[in-house]
Amino acid sequence: MNNTNKKARISLIISRILAYGFVIFLCFMCLFCFILLILMASKSNSQMQGAFNFRWGGHFMENLSNAWNDFSINIPVGMVNSFIVAMSSSLLTTYFSALTAYGVHVYNFKLKNFIFTFIMAIMMIPSQVSAVGFIQLAYKFGLTNKLWLLIIPSIAAPVVFFYMKQYLESVLPLEMVEAARIDGSNEFRIFNEIVLPIMKPAVAVQMIFSFVSSWNNFFMPALLLTKEKYKTVPIMIANLRSADYSKFDQGKVFMFILLAILPVMVVYTILSKSIIKGVTSGSVKG
Amino acid sequence: MKKLLSILLVMLMVFTLVGCAKKEEAPAEEEGEGKVFHIYAWNEEFKGFFEKYYTVPEGIEVVWTIVPNEGTQYQDALDLALMNQDSAEADEKVDMFLAEADYILKYTNSPYTQDIKALGVTDFSNTYTYTVEAASDADGVVKGVSFQCCPAGMIYRRSIAEDVLGTSDPDEVQALVSDWTKFDEVAAKCAEKGYYMTSSYAEDYRVFSNNTSSPWVDANNNLQIDPAIQTWMDQAEAYVNNGYTLTSGVWDAQTTEQAAKDGKTFCFFGPAWYYNFCMGPAFGDDAKAAGTDTIGDWALVEGPQAFFWGGTWLLAATGSDNPTMVADVMNAFINNEEVCENLIKNEAQFTNNQKINNKYAEDPDFGNAYLGGQNDTAVFAKGAKNIKFQNQTIYDQGCNESIQTYFVEYLQGNVTKEEALSNFYKALKEKYPAINVPEA
Amino acid sequence: MAKGNEKKHRKSVSYAKWAYIFITPFFITYILFTLIPQFLTVYNSFFENYRNGLEQVGPNFVGLGNYIRLLTPDKSGTIDFLRYLGNSLAMWIAGAVPQFLIALLLAVLFTSTRLNLKGQGLAKTIIYMPNLIMASAFSMLVFSLFSNVGPVNKFLIEAGILKEYYNFFATKISVRTIIAAMNFIMWFGNTTIVLMAGIMGIDQSLFESANLDGADSVHVFFDITLPLLMPILSYALITSMIGGIQMFDVPQVISNGKGTPNMTSTTAIMMLNNYLGISKNYGMSGALSVLLFIITGILGMFVYRSLAKQYKD
Repeated sequence: MNNTNKKARISLIISRILAYGFVIFLCFMCLFCFILLILMASKSNSQMQGAFNFRWGGHFMENLSNAWNDFSINIPVGMVNSFIVAMSSSLLTTYFSALTAYGVHVYNFKLKNFIFTFIMAIMMIPSQVSAVGFIQLAYKFGLTNKLWLLIIPSIAAPVVFFYMKQYLESVLPLEMVEAARIDGSNEFRIFNEIVLPIMKPAVAVQMIFSFVSSWNNFFMPALLLTKEKYKTVPIMIANLRSADYSKFDQGKVFMFILLAILPVMVVYTILSKSIIKGVTSGSVKG
Repeated sequence: MKKLLSILLVMLMVFTLVGCAKKEEAPAEEEGEGKVFHIYAWNEEFKGFFEKYYTVPEGIEVVWTIVPNEGTQYQDALDLALMNQDSAEADEKVDMFLAEADYILKYTNSPYTQDIKALGVTDFSNTYTYTVEAASDADGVVKGVSFQCCPAGMIYRRSIAEDVLGTSDPDEVQALVSDWTKFDEVAAKCAEKGYYMTSSYAEDYRVFSNNTSSPWVDANNNLQIDPAIQTWMDQAEAYVNNGYTLTSGVWDAQTTEQAAKDGKTFCFFGPAWYYNFCMGPAFGDDAKAAGTDTIGDWALVEGPQAFFWGGTWLLAATGSDNPTMVADVMNAFINNEEVCENLIKNEAQFTNNQKINNKYAEDPDFGNAYLGGQNDTAVFAKGAKNIKFQNQTIYDQGCNESIQTYFVEYLQGNVTKEEALSNFYKALKEKYPAINVPEA
Repeated sequence: MAKGNEKKHRKSVSYAKWAYIFITPFFITYILFTLIPQFLTVYNSFFENYRNGLEQVGPNFVGLGNYIRLLTPDKSGTIDFLRYLGNSLAMWIAGAVPQFLIALLLAVLFTSTRLNLKGQGLAKTIIYMPNLIMASAFSMLVFSLFSNVGPVNKFLIEAGILKEYYNFFATKISVRTIIAAMNFIMWFGNTTIVLMAGIMGIDQSLFESANLDGADSVHVFFDITLPLLMPILSYALITSMIGGIQMFDVPQVISNGKGTPNMTSTTAIMMLNNYLGISKNYGMSGALSVLLFIITGILGMFVYRSLAKQYKD
C-alpha cells in the first residue's frame, strides 16, 4: 500500500517535471518572437546592417519618439481609430452572436433547423468574397471613410454564432431557463441576467478573438479608409513598407510593429484574467 | 498701367476659359473654387517637394491620399475614386494624381483625365518631348506633366574600375562599356578579380526593356516577348552561370548592400532618383554614421545603351473643382525656374526643365558629392535627348514585374525554362484577362 | 389532454416570437452587409465581367464558362485551382497536426487536477500572444529574419554551419515549413484556450467518479474528455480548416504575392486576390469563390459528421 503510494508520488513528480518542461519550452518559443521584436526595436538602423547579435541596442526611446512623432505616419491617430473600431465590433459581435445562438438554441420555432443549417453553410463562404461586393456597394453609396461601416457588419458573425451555439449546447441546461420563466422573468432578462453570465468564458474568448481580428484587419479598411484621419494601424504599417528608402529606418519600422501589437496585448492581458476566472470558477454547471 | 491691364485681361481670359471648361463638368460653382485640393500619390517623394517648394494659395487645404504601389493597391484605390468622381462631394473629388510610366497610358487614354492645355498649362517648350508624349492620349491631347525627367545611366564604382580596368575616368570607362559585347568583356575581367559585374540578375533589365522594338502586347492582344527581352534573358542566364551577378532582385537588401563599403559590385543602373532611393547603404545617413558609406567612390556614364527608368507624372483628374490650382502646380514644377533649381540643387533631381538642367550641366562648379564631384546633370542632359517613349502598353507594369519574378526561378535552378515561362504566362492571364498568352 | 396540448401550443408560439426577435438583428445585418454582396458575387460568376485598363468589359452572360475555364487542365495536365488548393491544404495540415496535438495535450495538462500546474495564467497568456500579432507584421518579421542578409543567415555563417547564405525562400520545403511553422506558432495557443474552455465545461463529477473507479488518465482522456469535448473540438477543427483553406496573409507576404518557388506557396485565396487585383475580374473571382464555398462546405460537413459519428456510437 505504502509502496504504491510512493510509486504514485514519484510518477506524479516526474509527470509534473515533464509537464512544466513542456510548457516552459512552448512559452519560450512564443516569447522569442516578442523578445526579438523588442530587441530589434531597440537597435538603430546601422546596428542592424552589421552582424546580428542579441545585445540591447540602446536606441529604444529614440526609436519610440521617432515613430510616435513621425510626420507622415500618424500612429497615435491610427491607434485611436483602430481602438474605436475593434472595441465596438468585439462588443457587438459577442453580444449579438450570443443572443442569436441563444434564440436558436432555446426556442422551438418553424425555421429553427433551416436557420442553423443556413448559418453553418454561410460560415464556409470565404469572407473575401462578400468583401468585394461590399466595397462595390460602399463606393456606390458614397460610404467611404466611415468608421461605423466597419463596425455594424460585425453584428452578424456566423463563426462566433457557431461557437456560442456549441458552447450553449454543452453548458446550458434548458431546465434553468424553464425555472427562470416560472419565476416570472421575461425572456430578455433571462438572457441578460442568467444566460449571459453563464456564457462569460465564451464571451471573453470571443471578445478577444474578434478584437484581435478587427484590430489586425487590413483588406477591407485599406479600401474603405483613404483619409489620413480615419486610417487604422494596419494601413499605416503597410504604408510604412513602401516608404522611401532614405526614410527607411529599420529601427523605427520594428517600433511601429511593436506599437501596432501592444494595445492588443494590453487588452488581452486584462481580459485573459476574466477568462481564466470564468473557466476556473466552474460556475458553468449548477 | 498698360501692363496691369494686360495682366487683368489675360486673367479674365483664363477665368472664362476655366469657367467654360468647368460649366460642362460642374455648373454649380462658378466663382470660388473648391477649398480642398486632393492629391493621390503612392509615396511621399512628391509630397516632400510640394510642401517645400510650392506655396499653396490661401484658404486651400491640401489633402494627400497616399496608397502604396505594392501590387496594385494604388491603382485600385485611385480607380475607385476616379470612377466615383461624379457622385463624390466637391471636397472629396480627386484634383490631381500621380502616375508612373508603366501604367500612365491607362489613365491618359481614359475620360478620367483632362486636357491640361485648356486649364492653362500651355508652355512645354522647356520640357523633354518624351515626357509630353507619355502624358498624351492617342489623339495627342496632353493630360499631365512630369516633374522629373528620368534618363538613366550606369553608376560604377571607381575603386573597382581602377582595380579591374586600370582607370576610373568616366570617359575611358564609357569607351570600355559602350556596347553589350564590351560590357561582357568587362564582366569577365571583374569575375577574374573576384568582383560581380552587377549585383542583381535584373539590374540592367530596364536597359533592355526600354529598347524594345515591339510592345509587350500586339494589336490583336497577343502577348509577345521582344528580342531585346530575349537578349536580357540570355544575358541573365550567362551572367548567373558565370558568377558575374547574383540572383537577388533589384529591390532586395542583398542587392543594395552591395553598394556599401564591403560590396563587391562594379556597377548599378539607374536614374537620378536611384541614388536616394536605392543606394541607401552607399549614401544614407546611417551608413555615414557607421562609416560603411562609399560616398565619392562612384561615377556615372551612359553605359551600353541609353534608357530611362520611372518618372512621376502629375495628371489632371476630370471633374476637379480646383482646375486653376491644378494648372498652377503643374506650371510651377515645369516652368518655375526657382522651383526647378531647388529640385536640382537640394534634392539631386533631374528636372523636366531643359533650360535649368543645361544651366547646371554647363556649370563647372556643379557636381555631385556622391559621385566624387562629377557633374551627373551633364551626363543625364546628354542622355535625356535620346529618350523615346515607345512601345508602351497598359500592361507594362505587370509584364515587367512578372518576367523578372518568374524568370529568376529558372536562374536559381528551381524550375525549367519552360516552367518559368509558363508561370509567367499564367500570372499575366490572371492579372489581365484581356490578353492572349501562349498555351501554357 | 386536448386542453393541455392547446396550452403548450400557445406557449411555444409566444416563445417563438422571442426567437425571431433575438435573431432579427443578426439577420438584418447579415442580409445587408454580407448576403447581398455575396449574391452579387454568385451572380457575377456567370458573367464575363472585368476591367481592361479603365475600360469595363461586360458583363456578358457566359453561363458556366468561368467555371469551365477554372477546371480545364493546362498542357501538363494540372488544374491550377486544385493545385493551389492542394498547396493551402498541405501547409494547413503541416501546421495543424502539431497545433492540435500540442493544444490538446496542453489543455489536458492545464485542466488536470492531479498535476495541478502552477503559473497557468501566465503560461496561457504567453502561448496565446503570437495570435495577437498582425499576420502581415509577423510575416515581415520572419521574412527579415530569414532573408539572405538576415540575422539567421548571418548567424549560421558566423557559426561556421553554412559557407554562404542559404536562400530560405527559394526552395519549396523551406518556404512551406516556414509558413506552416508560423501558422502553428500563431494558432496553437488559440486552440489550447478554446479546448480548455471546452474541458472546463465538462461536468467535473464525471472526472471525480472516474478517479474513484481508479481509471488512469489515458482512459479518462479517451473515454470521457475526448467524447465530451467533441462539439468544441469539431468546432476548432472546422474553423481551423476553413482558415487553412482561406490562408492568405502569411504566404502573400512571405512570397511577396508571387507564390514562389514555382507556385508551390500560391494559395487559392492568393489566386482570388490576383483576379480581384488590377482587372477586377468579378466573373472569374466569383466562380472561384463559389467553388471554394462548395469545397469548404463538403469538407466541413465531412469532418463534422465523421467526428460526431465516431464518438456517438
